[in-house]
Amino acid sequence: MTALLATVGAKRDRAAFEILFVYFAPRVKSYLLRLGANAALADDLAQEAMLTVWRKAEMFDPAKASASTWVFTIARNLRIDAIRRERRPEFDPNDPAFVPEEEPQPDDRMVRDGEDARLREALTKLSADQAQVVQLSFFADKPHSQIARELGLPLGTVKSRLRLAMARIKAVLGDET
Amino acid sequence: MSIVHHPADELLLSYAAGATDEATSLIVATHLALCPRCRSTVAKAEAAGGALLEAADSTPLSSGALKSVMSRLTEPERMASPALRAPSNVPEPLRSYVGDDLGAIRWTSIAGGISFKPLFKSGAARAQLIRSKPGAGVGLHTHAGEEFTLCLSGGYTDVTGQYARGDLQSTTPDVLHRPLADEGEDCIVLAVSDAPLVFQNLGIALIAKWFGF
Repeated sequence: MTALLATVGAKRDRAAFEILFVYFAPRVKSYLLRLGANAALADDLAQEAMLTVWRKAEMFDPAKASASTWVFTIARNLRIDAIRRERRPEFDPNDPAFVPEEEPQPDDRMVRDGEDARLREALTKLSADQAQVVQLSFFADKPHSQIARELGLPLGTVKSRLRLAMARIKAVLGDET
Repeated sequence: MSIVHHPADELLLSYAAGATDEATSLIVATHLALCPRCRSTVAKAEAAGGALLEAADSTPLSSGALKSVMSRLTEPERMASPALRAPSNVPEPLRSYVGDDLGAIRWTSIAGGISFKPLFKSGAARAQLIRSKPGAGVGLHTHAGEEFTLCLSGGYTDVTGQYARGDLQSTTPDVLHRPLADEGEDCIVLAVSDAPLVFQNLGIALIAKWFGF
């Protein structure tokens, strides 16, 4: 999928886009349904997300992210805008006050072969406690305090579970930080 | 100068997941503009988001959705014209909220060399800028909830350490501190809290309450 998305970016290839649509749009729709959109809105937003994928494909850099990661960020920002009706503050690499990396690290965020699959596998192997708080963060729009309230856990417990999950993710992706 | 105090990994994960409110997202993203290390962590959490998206069930779209989208691919794109960027030391996304000159902000002055500028509320979280004259301090206080402070210029020091541009401090109700602005230039911070500060001094408490601090 990552190579196809790069092709869409480089060549405006409609056939490649159609394959991406068939693969991602139904997943994006599920994501939006779980985050509280009704069926009609989820359908509209999934289409909107895929149009955004087409329009922004030139900006996609396969050295920095996989297609699924990139589509996820587009769907996430769309749903914050449309469902939560808030802005999504993000940094801008072209901003004059932006601090770039001190030296380019060629290997830093290269998406390595099989990384996606290893990450999926690692996520399925999280402990039930960790998987639950990760799911609530990504698929239920819950900040730490709300997770703590709903699960009846101390805030510190929620944070340490998420921290451990993040450590596992970093371990799979190579932790140079 | 390199950044010493970073947001916790679990906060970066929640930001990447899109689960933080707008005020908290603003302070995290403004730190990210100044911190390559934390950008790398967020990129990894977003990769986890991508993996979770791939693992999600498929819900078929309405019939005709694909055809409809394919027919819209030739629509002219509504590209926002790139904003003219004056040189500034206010990084995006904060610049979109406060403008590109911290010197042009209309501050509300309270006692003891401290001024503030309320920005907005999102849910329970409130974002504001706080300016301290060199050597000035916010009285001894703790927090009813969580507070994040991002240093934008100058610096300040409390029992937990010294904070300079780009440093992000997270405080919880168990932290009792008396931050003091370092000597030199004014210290300006972005602060996001989900509950008012709890001052130890009754006089300061009353002033703070009056100003909604």
